[in-house]
Amino acid sequence: MNSRLAEFFQLAVRQLFRRKFRVILTIAGIAIGVAALVGTVALGEGIRTQAVDAIRTQSDLTLIEALPGAQGNILQLVTPTRAAAAGALPGVKASAPVVRGTFATRGQTYVQVVGVPADGLEDVLHPTYLRGSGFLSGSNEVVLGAALGEKLQRYEGVRIGDPLILIRRSYDAQGRPFDEETTVIPVGVMEERGDAFDQVLLMDLDLAIGLGEGESGYSGLLIRAEGPDRVFSVAEGVRGIGLSPRGSFEQIEAVNRMMDMVVIFLGIFAGLSLLVGGLMIASTMITSVYERTREIGIAMAVGASEGDVMEMILAECAVLGFIGGMAGDLLGVLFATVLNALGGPFLASRFGDAFAGLLDTEIALVTWPQLTAGLLLAVGLSLLAGLYPAWKASRLNPVEAIRSGR
Amino acid sequence: MSIPLLETRALSRHYPGGVRALDEVDLRIGKGEFVAIVGRSGSGKSTFLNIVGGLDAPSGGSVSIHGRMLDYSDRRALIAFRRQMVGFVFQQFNLIPSLTASENVEYPLLFNYRPPAERQEKARQLLAMVGLGDRASHYPGQLSGGEQQRVAIARALVADSPLILADEPTGNLDSQTSEGIFSLLQRLNRERQVTLLVVTHERELASYADRTVEMRDGRVVA
Repeated sequence: MNSRLAEFFQLAVRQLFRRKFRVILTIAGIAIGVAALVGTVALGEGIRTQAVDAIRTQSDLTLIEALPGAQGNILQLVTPTRAAAAGALPGVKASAPVVRGTFATRGQTYVQVVGVPADGLEDVLHPTYLRGSGFLSGSNEVVLGAALGEKLQRYEGVRIGDPLILIRRSYDAQGRPFDEETTVIPVGVMEERGDAFDQVLLMDLDLAIGLGEGESGYSGLLIRAEGPDRVFSVAEGVRGIGLSPRGSFEQIEAVNRMMDMVVIFLGIFAGLSLLVGGLMIASTMITSVYERTREIGIAMAVGASEGDVMEMILAECAVLGFIGGMAGDLLGVLFATVLNALGGPFLASRFGDAFAGLLDTEIALVTWPQLTAGLLLAVGLSLLAGLYPAWKASRLNPVEAIRSGR
Repeated sequence: MSIPLLETRALSRHYPGGVRALDEVDLRIGKGEFVAIVGRSGSGKSTFLNIVGGLDAPSGGSVSIHGRMLDYSDRRALIAFRRQMVGFVFQQFNLIPSLTASENVEYPLLFNYRPPAERQEKARQLLAMVGLGDRASHYPGQLSGGEQQRVAIARALVADSPLILADEPTGNLDSQTSEGIFSLLQRLNRERQVTLLVVTHERELASYADRTVEMRDGRVVA
């Protein structure tokens, strides 16, 4: 900043100091607007972060399943070529093709079967076992999801190592149904994962194909991303090769979309209060220019150019905006602090255990980019509000301005 | 005669409704002259000063400084002219209330891009010269009328402008203080060779000047 502009700012502060009460009211207007905006965004970000964290902790975020996709009207199947292409995408740690089918037990429990290579089961699903272990490649061993394992044990007495008969209904050339029975041996029950794999029976891919599944290609492709930060780029890559990615990341996308809408919507209302602050600045500066008409005329008489006059008025606006923005940021932080200190316990006490998790978490999340944006917005809006008064001041006729007596 | 510092030729200023504030005024003022313009209220004295100082534009005629004609349609040139060539002293003193005496004096140099240290030193010297060396940090509200006008005179001198224009500089002062102000102007004229064009309606004070020009109804009559 050149020294002259710095001096204009010093002059601006002194000019504003002359009209303390009006200036304080104007700054309060801006501050409330900025605080409302910062508070709203902080609340939105806090809720978004909590929701995303909950999804991350409760689900397997880095697991993506690529399903057949549609490009135009053409179905894009999960062919070995596409499976290889997806496996080679940057950010992919491991991948495994899967086939899916539906079977029933003798006890009339319907079972979703997923065929996956034995090494794929370990590399991609990363299962941890409540009981037993994984199946061996080329065997008729199977692994049960937590919920299915419990269900079969409770209603059909199925235990680890006990033969389990799966019935697959097919239709002959005349359309008559017939059932085929297969015996498998459950060798492990996975711990609860919080996703669809809790409900399925996992078996070796070759066994599933041998049972007649996957005749028209793979049902899908399980992909393990290298980390949470790579999930979205891998999903994008999967879309790029014509397949449709599914997984917990979609919940995050949905939360982000929803929270974007909520924050924008609330932000508009908060922005309106900031706009009122801007109008207050315009009003203050128009009054100020009116009251200081003679001073502006004097400045012109002693050599101030129109640009100098504009700079002097805009410097005052910038100072108003800066102080208002800083005060607004502080208020916003205060609002978030109070909300975080009192909001969680209040919600927990009013609504019970469902909100108990809020006791030790941040409902409102204030970040530096929010505070910086609040400050810049306040200064920018103040400058915008000051443009008209500044322009009006710069167009004053010096002789008339000096004569005005104001 | 050598080229005058200020020369006006057929300088006119007409206002809507046919009012002729200035009517073809011809005037030559040499470098270092102290000229008093006298006349009744409404005779066109202030209008003449405003036009010569580049604050107002004429309806006709010309103003030349050092033989160069002032182009009133060139805003940049007018601003540069006001910054470098003229200093104003007003009847109402017209100091900025939020600035100290010293800051008021250096105020024009802010627009001349002079460094603060140079401005402060110059203001200090000029305030000492007008007898207010000990009042530099006082605000206008803390100064008497005569002191405020001295500060205004120092401000008019700060840019080393060759021409000082004073419009009724004692109009708001008592007679004793007015004598003091004119005495100061005379001293500055002699010591600094600054050209002074002072409008007054008091003929006794005009006697401090080297020459008196009388205006009536927008014309120079004597």
